[in-house]
This record gives sequence, structure tokens and C-alpha cells, in this order.
Amino acid sequence: MRVLIIEDEIRLAANIAAALRQGAGVAVDCAHDGREGLALAEAEHYDLLLLDLMLPGLDGLSIVRRARARGDRTPILVLTARDERSHVVTLLNAGADDYLTKPFDLGELIARVKALIRRGKGAADSLLTVGRLSMNAVEQTVRCGRLLIELSPTEYRILEYLMFRPRAIVSKRELLEHLYDYTWEHHSNVIEAHVSNLRKRLRAAGEEAMVETVRGRGYRLEAPEPKL
Amino acid sequence: MRMRSLTRRLIVGVLLAELLCAAGFAVVAIVHEMHVRRRAFDIMLRGRADSLLGAVQDADDPEANVTVDRSELVLPAEDIYEVLSPTGRRLGESENADARALRGLAASQREAQREKYFEIEVGRVHYRVLRTEGVRVIDRLENGGTRRPVTLIYGAPTRHLFREVVEAARFYVLTSVLLLAVTGAVLAWLLGRWLSPLRELALSASRVSVTSWEFEPTENALRTRELNPIILSMRQLLAGLREAFERQRRFTGDAAHELKTSLTLLKSSLQLLTMGRRNAEEYEAGLRDLTIDIQRMEELTERMLALARIEEEGEKPAEVVDLGMTVRSLAQRLKPLAEARQVTIGVIGDGACLVSVQASDAEILGSNLLMNAVQHSPAGAEVTVTLTARNGTAEMRVGDRGDGIPESALPHIFERFYRTDASRSRQSGGTGLGLAICKAIVERSRGTIAVESGMGRGTVIIVRLPTARG
Repeated sequence: MRVLIIEDEIRLAANIAAALRQGAGVAVDCAHDGREGLALAEAEHYDLLLLDLMLPGLDGLSIVRRARARGDRTPILVLTARDERSHVVTLLNAGADDYLTKPFDLGELIARVKALIRRGKGAADSLLTVGRLSMNAVEQTVRCGRLLIELSPTEYRILEYLMFRPRAIVSKRELLEHLYDYTWEHHSNVIEAHVSNLRKRLRAAGEEAMVETVRGRGYRLEAPEPKL
Repeated sequence: MRMRSLTRRLIVGVLLAELLCAAGFAVVAIVHEMHVRRRAFDIMLRGRADSLLGAVQDADDPEANVTVDRSELVLPAEDIYEVLSPTGRRLGESENADARALRGLAASQREAQREKYFEIEVGRVHYRVLRTEGVRVIDRLENGGTRRPVTLIYGAPTRHLFREVVEAARFYVLTSVLLLAVTGAVLAWLLGRWLSPLRELALSASRVSVTSWEFEPTENALRTRELNPIILSMRQLLAGLREAFERQRRFTGDAAHELKTSLTLLKSSLQLLTMGRRNAEEYEAGLRDLTIDIQRMEELTERMLALARIEEEGEKPAEVVDLGMTVRSLAQRLKPLAEARQVTIGVIGDGACLVSVQASDAEILGSNLLMNAVQHSPAGAEVTVTLTARNGTAEMRVGDRGDGIPESALPHIFERFYRTDASRSRQSGGTGLGLAICKAIVERSRGTIAVESGMGRGTVIIVRLPTARG
């Protein structure tokens, strides 16, 4: 998953980015003014926009409105210093999905970011299951039945992305776009290496669900039909 | 506090004027009435005296004297009269007792003209008396008759006369009072109607509040000439208030945002430090960052308080400050900071530059402008401060060789929390209040502050202050 933070306080943006990378296991990009933020949001594929309301260049409310006017359905979480009701109502009506008032708790921020990403992918539960494979987004753990599978953060993120869309073909490019921030060099063989490792670990745990390669198109998470 | 009512005052004023008119009119009317009635009374007296003369008859005596034959006389019983011969012999008199008062009157009035009115008082009764002389021709058939002159003294009580005048006066007074009452009532009703624009204006004014600034006087109020200046000044007042209120609200909102962002930064830094296991170096670095963050928050708070204090204090008695000396000592103090950024500060100025400003204000003004210039200067550049004084105005130009300010931002740079390039000034530790504080200081010292800048040409801030006299 990949998140864009638009916050003009550089150190705060860096703190939030660190917390999200660490606590939510997502890739994070930062923009420090409104115009730059909007341009990034339009150019890249993010799973969540996290923005401050008061921004130089273009304020948060305008970014929300423009993104929604463009038909962008990415979940948006707004950070605001004001919590007056009318203000919050305006914000939500403009198309924001959630808001947090400053000073917020990093733990709460992480939880909300996860929940919004999950919702954005159409899942309500923090427990994702495909076949016998289950993923707990809160604990950031993956189990096959009751057996815990140890995964690296990147492997976990690839699996998470695939589990959100079981049986759908996900291209390498899409994985790259959603799993790495823009400072990362986009090499598709990096993905291939991680997918290969992921397969090994799943097989070692005796998991039947498999990450299949669809030649020339990408990957697909295929779970065998439960045997009756 | 006792309330005064304009309506009541107006009504009382009109009624007083009317009362005065009525009183004057009544007095004139009564005097006129008195005059008219008295003349009528006199004519009546003459008439009665004439009929008395008619009653003077040939007396049945050898000297062919005359006497008063009262048998056919029809005169009011209360009247008094006396008929005298030229020799003063009493030929007849009325029968009532008061007639005796007339005796001797004829003699005393002898020298008077043929006809004279006068007033006497008998007992407690006032009489108006006519003394007249008449000629009675008797035995007209014999030798053309004999002419017998007689003196008539006829009086009638004036009681009736006064009663009539009083009656007339009472009529006038009563009519006036009635008119006053009617006028009062009509006036009260009319004023109530005519003052309705005033009430409507008050109502539309009462609808104005901090959440709804709409002030819409009714058509009625707008079309009332006397209310126009009030409406105009209310509109101006409201516009000013609204602007001030909006400015204050924006400032509060901005200040809350800045403070809360600072707090969020502190909180998140701390929470991040405790999120996972860290080694000693990481903790140390984290604590260092936190200290810097706290210093920045401290600076922000101090500047906000400074701005609030300057604005709250308003104009203060100024001191005489040598701006050149202040700037030079500031430049000396900022030298280490400037050197760390490889920036030099040059002060160009001829002699003393005395301005009337608070010493502490001059210090804040100078250090804010110098710090700004140093922070926006590239390495190796020079910050120049030029001081000139002429025609009662001192001018200080603080120039840097930085990137300059985009034209679109120029009108806003003295606004609170305005940052031209957020990321850069945040990095350089700007609070967005420095120039706003400078503006507040300059304005309360009756000076002006302006900016000249162009992209790539650097920025010059120009401060003009009145020079100190003496």
C-alpha cells in the first residue's frame, strides 16, 4: 500500500511517514505544499491521501474537492487544527473520508490509515482470508490455518495487496506503484525476487493458496476450492 | 438612569406652544369682549337714561316745573337713577336704597362734559353710572313749548357685564383645553406612525450579530432623510467591525493551527521514539530534535504574544532612538549567525539617524529584518542596510540577494502567518510572524513599511519612520 502525505511542516510529515512505514507497513511519499501534493496525487496511484488542511499553495479543502471532481476515489484522511462541527461537516461533504484533529495520537493515526485503506479496498474486517490463508492487519501477521508464517515486510505487503484482490490479475507495475514510494528505483526484477521468496515461504508452511504467474500480465492469488 | 422620550418631548413642546397661543388668544379675546360688552353696556345705559328722560313730565305746579312720572317707566328694579334740575333740585330718583349714593354726585361732576361715564361702588355692588344732560320740551302746543334742561344720572350694576365676560372667557378656555387634548392625542398617534422607520431601523440593527453581519434597513428607513446619516455611519461601523472581527478570527484560527501543529510535531516525535527499540544514539538524536522543536514552539508563542501586546498597547510615547546605532549593534550581535551562513552584514549610513520610536520596538524591528535578510541570503552574499534621513523622515532599507518574492505574494508578505515558500521558510525556522510584527511596530510609530522584490533580484524592505525633533 502507498500513502501520500501533504503536510507543510516537514518534520511532522517525516514523523508521520516514519510512523506509517513502521506501524502500518505502507510506502509513503511526502509533499510540502498543496500544488505539489495535488500534482503527485494525480500522477501516482495512492491507496490513501493524508493531508493537512492549512497548506501553502492550495489548501486541503480545495485538494479534496479537486480530487473528487476528477473522479478520484482514493480514501482521504484530513488533519485539521479546528474541530468545530460546521467545519468538519464541510470537510466531509467535500469528499473527505475521515479527519483527525491536531494534536493527534500516532497510534490512532495508524489505525485510521489502516482502516481507510481496508475500506478503500472494499474490506470491512481487519482479518483477510483467502482459502486457509488468513492475514491479521492489526497484528500484521499471516497464518495458514493456525500456523504462523514468517514474512519480510515487503513480502507481507505484496501478499496483503494480492489478498485484497483474490483471483484478480495484478501487474508487476501495479505492485510497484502501490508498494514503493517514489524514492525507490522501479525495477520489476525486485518484485520477482520477493514473489519468489513469498512462494517458498507459503509452500514451506503447507499453504495451498498460491501466487501464480500469469505470463506477460502479472500475478494472481489462487486459492483451491475447499474440498468437500 | 431616567429615560427621555423624544416623542413625549415633541408632544409636550407642541402642546406648550399651543397652550401659549391659546392663553394669548384668550387674553386678547377677553379684553376685546370686555371692550365690546362695556360699549354695549354703555349704549344700554344711554338707552335707559333716554327712556328715563321720556318719563320727565310736566309737573302740575305754577312754575311749570318738570317731574319724573314713574308710572310708565319700565326699568330694571336694581338700576339706580336721579333726575336733577339745572338748579340742582332733585326731580326724582329710583326707589331702591343704593340711589342715595348718587346724591351729591351730580354736583361733583358738574364741571364735566355733557356726557360722562364713571363707576361707583355702593356697599359691595359695582355700578356703572352715566351722567348726561337732556332737554325736555313741555307744553309743545303752547308757543312752541318750554325747554327744560335736566341732568340725568343713571347707573346699573356691572354684575351682569362681568358675568358675561367670565362666561365668554370660560368658553374660550374650555375650547382651548379641549383642543389641546385633541392635539395631544392626534400628535401621539401621528408620531407613533411617523417614527416607525426608526423602530424598523432598530429592529434591523438588532438582527446583526457576529454570525450574520447583514444589515438591511427597511425601505421605509432608507427613505427617511434624517435616518440616512445614521444608516451610513452604522454601515461604516459594521463594515469596520466585521473586518476587524474576521481578521481576529483568521488570526485565532491560524494561531491555533500553528500551535497545534507544533504540539502534534512534539507528540509525534515522542511517540515515534517510543514506538520501537532504539539505541542510545537514536534516542540522543531524537531528544536533540525535540529540543529544537520546543525552541521553535517557544519562539512562535513569544512572537504571537509580542504581536498581541504591540496591537493591544497601541500608540505609546516614543523615545529618541539612534536607528544607526541600534542596527550596528544588532549587526555585531548577529555576526556569528551570519558567518555560519557565510553572509556578511554591511551598514551604510551618514551620522546619527534619530527617530522617535520605542527603544525595544526599534530593537525587535531591526533584528527581525536583519534575521530575515540573513536567512534568505545565499552563501557568500551580503546583507546591506542603508540609512538616510531627510525632510523629517528616516529611511532604512534592508536588502538581501536572495531568490526574491514572487509578485503574487508581495501584497501578502506582511500578513500574519503568511509564508512565500512554505518548505523553505519552515526549514529556516520562520514563524510567519516576523514581518507582521515589523508592520505593527512601524504603524504604531506612525511610519510605513514597504517591499521591493523581484524573482532572482533579491528583496528590499523599506521602513520609513518620523525623525525625532531636537
